[in-house]
Amino acid sequence: MALSGVSRSTAGALPPLTEEDSARSLDRARVHDARQRGGRWPLMWLLVGPGILAMLGENDGPSMIAYASDGAQYGLGFFVPFIPVLFAMAYVCQEMCMRIGAVTHRGYGELVLQRFGPVWGWFAAADLTLTNLITLVAEFVSIRVGLAYFHLGSGVAVALGLVLVVFTFSGGRYWRWERIVLGLALFNGLFLLAAVLAKPHVGAIVGALDFSPFPGGSFNTLLLLLASTIGATVTPWMIFFQQGASADKGMTPRDITHGRYDTAVGAVLAAIFGIGALVAGAALLTHNGAGIQGFAGAGFPNALRHVAGSAAGTVFALGLIEAGAVAILTISASTAYAAAECVGAAHSFNTFPREAALFYAANFGIALVAAVVILIPGAPLLSIALNANVLATVLLPVSLVFMVMLANDKGLMGRWANRRSTNAIGIAVIAFVGLCGAAYGIDSFLQTTHLIG
Amino acid sequence: MSTDAPAYKDVDGARDGQPDEHFEDETIMHLERDQFVAETSRPVARAPLNPRSTAALWALRLFAVVVSLMVVYTFIRQLH
Repeated sequence: MALSGVSRSTAGALPPLTEEDSARSLDRARVHDARQRGGRWPLMWLLVGPGILAMLGENDGPSMIAYASDGAQYGLGFFVPFIPVLFAMAYVCQEMCMRIGAVTHRGYGELVLQRFGPVWGWFAAADLTLTNLITLVAEFVSIRVGLAYFHLGSGVAVALGLVLVVFTFSGGRYWRWERIVLGLALFNGLFLLAAVLAKPHVGAIVGALDFSPFPGGSFNTLLLLLASTIGATVTPWMIFFQQGASADKGMTPRDITHGRYDTAVGAVLAAIFGIGALVAGAALLTHNGAGIQGFAGAGFPNALRHVAGSAAGTVFALGLIEAGAVAILTISASTAYAAAECVGAAHSFNTFPREAALFYAANFGIALVAAVVILIPGAPLLSIALNANVLATVLLPVSLVFMVMLANDKGLMGRWANRRSTNAIGIAVIAFVGLCGAAYGIDSFLQTTHLIG
Repeated sequence: MSTDAPAYKDVDGARDGQPDEHFEDETIMHLERDQFVAETSRPVARAPLNPRSTAALWALRLFAVVVSLMVVYTFIRQLH
């Protein structure tokens, strides 16, 4: 922490060393060596991770289906420039989380709980658990949709997701977990390949950069579009995840510049791959969006195959499997960080399950509950998946307000506290997200209860 | 604050809970002191929140809960 940080030379009696300390210090030793040698890329390689994982983890199954559906129903106009704007907003939020994690070496959940009291800490954890559970159901559905293209069922989707979660646990090292998930996350680029295979008109993509044509339809449809697209880009779990992972990775204030690069690279990649899904979906525009009921069977990949060829359909289906799988790993991890932080239990991938039972149990447990839901016959999976992003958008402003408060807390952050310009942008993001989420929630409610037409 | 007892490093030379000093010297030199589990397990002090800030936070929380309930209600109604 900024005010309590003490260099080794000035430290008094050293605290006792744990397994977690040892594992983390080995990673820090490699960072130190890379820095001493002056190699820019080796240092970058060691310090990237949390930012890219948060951004590509948010390019999850429901998000990619949402982007593709936007393309299929409304075309490229408006969304091609809107997606990068949203990821720029996500960068502002995620940079703050990374900075707080690097300076305080603590996760978001524990800082909110300790700094503002248990009521706020538990509210934050409850919001996260609720939205994560719903989102995880949607991730398993996404894997199921992708697998359905290859004539595989829900059982395989459940097994694949849960085996991946358990597999990444092995080793008791954050570094190993991060690199496995990072390797998987890069396959998010499959959506870009699907876009290329759909043979889009480059001129149409460039022409869409002027935010036109604006999507048509009713006011409520537009609000749903905004709320779900925002929910596909900035969510509560990303805040818990990136701050917790930055602390777990052992980042320090000296690494903040590289943490910004990591977050920026993640945002750029996520925006490009998101636009890839949009462009692939737009191939269905001239077919009136037929067959895009993406969560019914293998709807979207099959529809794409008919229009753009089997290669495009196959790549899109594989992309959905990847997007769901990576999101299961990152979202489960964010739940584990939050749960263990709030009760003060060990919360690090630099531990073994016997040392951090709650952390690993929460990680696996929430994935297991979500997996069970998709096996329930007749469960409203389509509605759950579509509402996951909206609910996340509605609850996000509360998480963002505490994040900005923490980032401004000079007692914690010292000279790494927010500048005025960062605060201005952060407050604008909170206002925009809050307005869109609230407008959709209120308008839908009033329509459902027939209080307005 | 931590409810889980930290697992102390089991290395050659560690006796009676006392870590091997040589190993510790090599290992910790790249960790900041406040990165140690023993340090991060200590809670940070409560931030002073004035009544206006507290009221604003409660208002935001209530607003989020009400809008969330609206979304959940709409979701349930759409199922039928």
